[in-house]
Amino acid sequence: MNNLAILPIIIPLISGAILAFVHSKVSLSRTLAKLFMLINLGVVIYLTLEVINYGTIILETGEWVAPYGIVLVADSLAAVLVLTTNIIAVAAVFYAPHSLTEAKEKHYFYTFFFFIISGVSGAFLTGDLFNLFVFFEVLLIASYALIVLGGEKVQLRESLKYVLINVFSSILFVTAIAFLYGVVGTVNMAQIAERVQEVDQQGILTTIGILLFFVFATKAALFPLYYWLPKSYIVPNPVVSALFAALLTKVGIYSIIRVFSLIFIHRPDLTHEAFIWIAGLSMIFGVIGALATNNIKLIIAYNIIPAIGFIMMGIGFFNESGMSGSIYYLIHDMIIKTALFMLVGIIAYVAGTSDLRKMKGLIHDYPLLGWLLFIAAFVLAGIPPFSGFIGKIQLLKGAFENGEVVIAIIALGTSLLILYSVMKIFIRGFWGERQTNNKLEKKPIFGMVTPVIFLLACSTILGIGAEWFVPTIESISSDLLNPQNYIDSVLKE
Amino acid sequence: MIFAIFIPLLFALFVPLLSKLKERIHTGIFVLFIPLSIFLYFIRFIGKDFVPIKQTYQWIPSLGINLDFYLDGLSLLFILLISGIGTLVVAYSIYYLDRTERLGHFYVYLLMFMSAMLGVVSFDNIFAIYTFWELTSISSFLLIGYWHFKERSRYGAQKSMLITIFGGLSMFGGFILLSVIAGTTSIRELILHADIILNSNYLPLALILILLGAFTKSAQFPFHIWLPDAMEAPTPVSAYLHSATMVKAGIYLVARLSPIFSSYEWFFIIVSTFGIVTLCWGSYMAVRQTDLKAILAFSTISQLGMIMAMLGFGTKVAIFAAVFHILNHATFKGSLFMVAGVIDVQTGTRDIRKLGGLFTFLPITATLALFGTFSMAGIPLPFLNGFYSKEMFFDSTLQLTQSGNGIAQFMVQIIPYLAVIGSIFTFVYSMYFFFGVFGGKKHTMKLAKSPVEAPIGMLIPPMILVLGVIGIGLFPNAFNGTFLAHAAEAINPLSSAGHIKFWHGLNTPFIMSLIVVGVGFVLFKTKNVWKKIYDILPGRFSFNKVYDQIIKNIDIVSTKITNKYMNGSLGTYISLIIGAIVVVTGFVMIQTGGFTISFDNLAEITIIELTVAVLIVIAAIATIFSNSNLAALLITGVVGYGVSVLFLIYRAPDLALTQLVIETVSVVLFLLAFLHLPKMRKRSEKPPVKLKNIIISVGFGALMTLVGISAHSSNWFEPISDYFLDTALPIGGGKNVVNVILVDMRGLDTLFEITVLGIAALAVFTLIKLRKDKEEAD
Repeated sequence: MNNLAILPIIIPLISGAILAFVHSKVSLSRTLAKLFMLINLGVVIYLTLEVINYGTIILETGEWVAPYGIVLVADSLAAVLVLTTNIIAVAAVFYAPHSLTEAKEKHYFYTFFFFIISGVSGAFLTGDLFNLFVFFEVLLIASYALIVLGGEKVQLRESLKYVLINVFSSILFVTAIAFLYGVVGTVNMAQIAERVQEVDQQGILTTIGILLFFVFATKAALFPLYYWLPKSYIVPNPVVSALFAALLTKVGIYSIIRVFSLIFIHRPDLTHEAFIWIAGLSMIFGVIGALATNNIKLIIAYNIIPAIGFIMMGIGFFNESGMSGSIYYLIHDMIIKTALFMLVGIIAYVAGTSDLRKMKGLIHDYPLLGWLLFIAAFVLAGIPPFSGFIGKIQLLKGAFENGEVVIAIIALGTSLLILYSVMKIFIRGFWGERQTNNKLEKKPIFGMVTPVIFLLACSTILGIGAEWFVPTIESISSDLLNPQNYIDSVLKE
Repeated sequence: MIFAIFIPLLFALFVPLLSKLKERIHTGIFVLFIPLSIFLYFIRFIGKDFVPIKQTYQWIPSLGINLDFYLDGLSLLFILLISGIGTLVVAYSIYYLDRTERLGHFYVYLLMFMSAMLGVVSFDNIFAIYTFWELTSISSFLLIGYWHFKERSRYGAQKSMLITIFGGLSMFGGFILLSVIAGTTSIRELILHADIILNSNYLPLALILILLGAFTKSAQFPFHIWLPDAMEAPTPVSAYLHSATMVKAGIYLVARLSPIFSSYEWFFIIVSTFGIVTLCWGSYMAVRQTDLKAILAFSTISQLGMIMAMLGFGTKVAIFAAVFHILNHATFKGSLFMVAGVIDVQTGTRDIRKLGGLFTFLPITATLALFGTFSMAGIPLPFLNGFYSKEMFFDSTLQLTQSGNGIAQFMVQIIPYLAVIGSIFTFVYSMYFFFGVFGGKKHTMKLAKSPVEAPIGMLIPPMILVLGVIGIGLFPNAFNGTFLAHAAEAINPLSSAGHIKFWHGLNTPFIMSLIVVGVGFVLFKTKNVWKKIYDILPGRFSFNKVYDQIIKNIDIVSTKITNKYMNGSLGTYISLIIGAIVVVTGFVMIQTGGFTISFDNLAEITIIELTVAVLIVIAAIATIFSNSNLAALLITGVVGYGVSVLFLIYRAPDLALTQLVIETVSVVLFLLAFLHLPKMRKRSEKPPVKLKNIIISVGFGALMTLVGISAHSSNWFEPISDYFLDTALPIGGGKNVVNVILVDMRGLDTLFEITVLGIAALAVFTLIKLRKDKEEAD
């Protein structure tokens, strides 16, 4: 028992509440938000180190013993993801004041922001399926608030779809939990796992597992459930898009990792084999979407989908290389997607448009911005020595180890097209002659660029310094392949 | 020693600072010292008693990615080429690029490339090689796009990036496959485990993936199309990357890995076929070009094909000849590119149709070009290195005795003829280049500038290269034992040519050379007569068009596909999502035999329950058919109140109360908003759409019902709820178990559900407030 596990959930919750009271004082809000975020990051770093060095931290809330009460389980996977979340959040909180209008900041942006962080951290940390649903609700409702923040027509139109599809998947989620409870009589994930194993995942259990998969896959934006994502992610402010891209879809994919490495693991011929197909189709259709548009924000939004495909692929292989690859790629993608959404946000801001056909020669006025995009494109495509490369090497290893040649080739082809889709922005938008009829004055962007540099530095460290992280990720992967470790740590203290 | 690889990259960090001084000191002067010192450092390893040197630096040992520096003869050859030609190219660039250019950028990219290329040729670890391989592609991309305000530069840069990174990624796949098969990431260990690789089922796949990398990088047919467009780069870059070094990375890779694959007959077939076809096609197409650099580009393609073919042969003679030609090609082609640059700068054009008769104006340049082109043509003169390697090439084509399948034997038969054909055209374009520029009539009036000889500084680098051409030609054996033999041995331990001789007697290779010169001379003189053949072959077809079509179609097709389903209609999205759920989940349920139904343990059904249930169902169905807002509202209300009645029957008064409140509040809210709501439109879907919707919704309803029944029928475990009943009072201190659950046992859930409500309230407030503010501001 250790209260540490709840701090990453509670600190943002309280911070959000405090900031709601000072919402009208913008500069105070900004300072406090940064301060709270840094405190939270500090706590999370401490938590992560504790977990990695001394093992999983369990908190039985209200001292109601597992499996009866709600348990929080800070195992190394959860800790590492919460840490990544907070790194992104720090970048976002420093980017936000430069990107948002004061009106939006005054209208509770920071409150919603902290609630999202709280919900995401909770989703990573909980060991209780129903509680997971609750945290999903927290992060979703905060995301509904953020997506309409500003209340523009296009925001309202796209967010309606976003809200309705997510409400539908929430209904399905709670129904599936009810079904599962009907069969196994519990909502504690460790105990569910134990019981499903006991009856060898027979009867209706696999079907319920698939329903849960659809719930998470809708959030994760996997094929064929991602339709809601691209256009709704580009309507809010870039900082909000960045948070959504980095966190919301990733909570979905995390849930799939958790549930299909802990609970529904006894019919991999049906579930995990299908994941590989879904992964391949997500890559193909996602990248096709990214190539189909000249809207730079949409290019990046579509690129979320193939990345989720990459992560999914490793879960499908369900071997050590594949799982490590998925987790490494997940962390990598959280960071780089944030950076890219921020970057295209800045580009659209300085160019005065997000239509690629209307920009050229930006490098003359904004060289730093151009080179950051250039690097980000290679990071995204998994070119060495950046973070994506490390994940990809493990994923492809996992593919060949299992003899999955087709998906490996799809993944390689997709990488090329991903690179092309983003490099297009560099070649067409940044290269070329300086626009002469450009009435736009050169805008100061230093404050917005700094968080991007910070994130790209993280990507580079994750790539060049991979040796510092790979062993940890590999041990997470081997833990995931031995679910008994998780069950024991929760149920038998 | 490994440090040497990173020196250029580290120095690149200071270049932006140094380029601030460019008005006083040309940045190239600083940069010059970098390749020069690397060259001087490594040249001392030349010698008869050279033994390979190994140094290991761990990078990511967990993944087997290490910087294992391994210097053997082959690496040494390439390192000296990279640093040696690099020095000359930087020196040349000082005159070629004037100070108004963005020198900082240029040298940063160039130094990046230098490090990258040194890395490719000196690491033993496949992933280290891949890392630096991609860096060469990236720096090449930047250098081709150096003058990015030109449309053609952007086109060329993108093309080279797409093709070479396509190859790079596929090679990466091949590397991973090799490492998975053989369990190692070191090339030398892979060679030791060659038998495992040769017996693997994945051998063909691994070979193809890796060769795709090599062929794209080394511009082999039909991937050669990026190289002519890469000529948009400044000429020093063309001389360096796109002729002497980077394009030989593919050659290097094949040479490096050939000990693994050489006993596999498809290796011979694929590599020599692509090589020899590239040789012929490249030289044939070179004759057609009018831009000097384009001639040289196709010439490079063709020469690379020749080297590739020899690596495919894999015989002792062929390997030695390949290594020898790598060196020779770098000398004469490097000098020719520099000559082309001189002509461009001095006359203002590279169009051969506008040039001619320049010998008297640019005598030194012309002399340099003379040696370069004649060596390239393989004219039998004892002071031209090109002749020696070409002669060996002919010799190697004759020595093939492949006893393999039919294709291999067929190849053995026709290779000598193709070699002669390719060389004939090589002769033709070499003459075309030299005499087209320097011979014939002067028509200087067509030129933008009146031509004068270039400054001496610009001529020194090509001069040094031409001295290399002559030096190697006169004293080939000075380079043989000390240098080339080591490189050849690294590829094939048996390979070491004896004494290189000019005169072997009137043997078949020499006769082949004579045929080349003879036929080539006739073809060169009659070029205008047979030129029409290009209208038939390739005619209108070109691989460029194929590439352009692909690029165009990527956009068009992907737009078409995406617009088809991403139509912005929520109805489409929802029906696709639910459709997928029904199909997949239904399939899984059938596949696992998931459906079970049991009538044990059921409560009695009373008449009231039945009535309420039927009412709910009817009301739910009726909502679909209602045509007005009010009717729909009332009918939905029936469902809600029905459910609360059910709650009451099942003795859950608090739930019933909650449900009632919700229903009532919804109705009130709805009525408040009623005036502002648009009228419900009459639904008018076409019958097939209607049918689809019916199938999906009925399917989904049925699915959920079946899963629900099955879930209820398979309660194999004691639910944990008994614990709550037992402990609510003693531990929780409350008589109402639901309350204890809500506020204590699962208090965390409740805390956050409250938060959800709070956020929702705040969100609605914000939505209204921010819009209202805006409206007022407008």
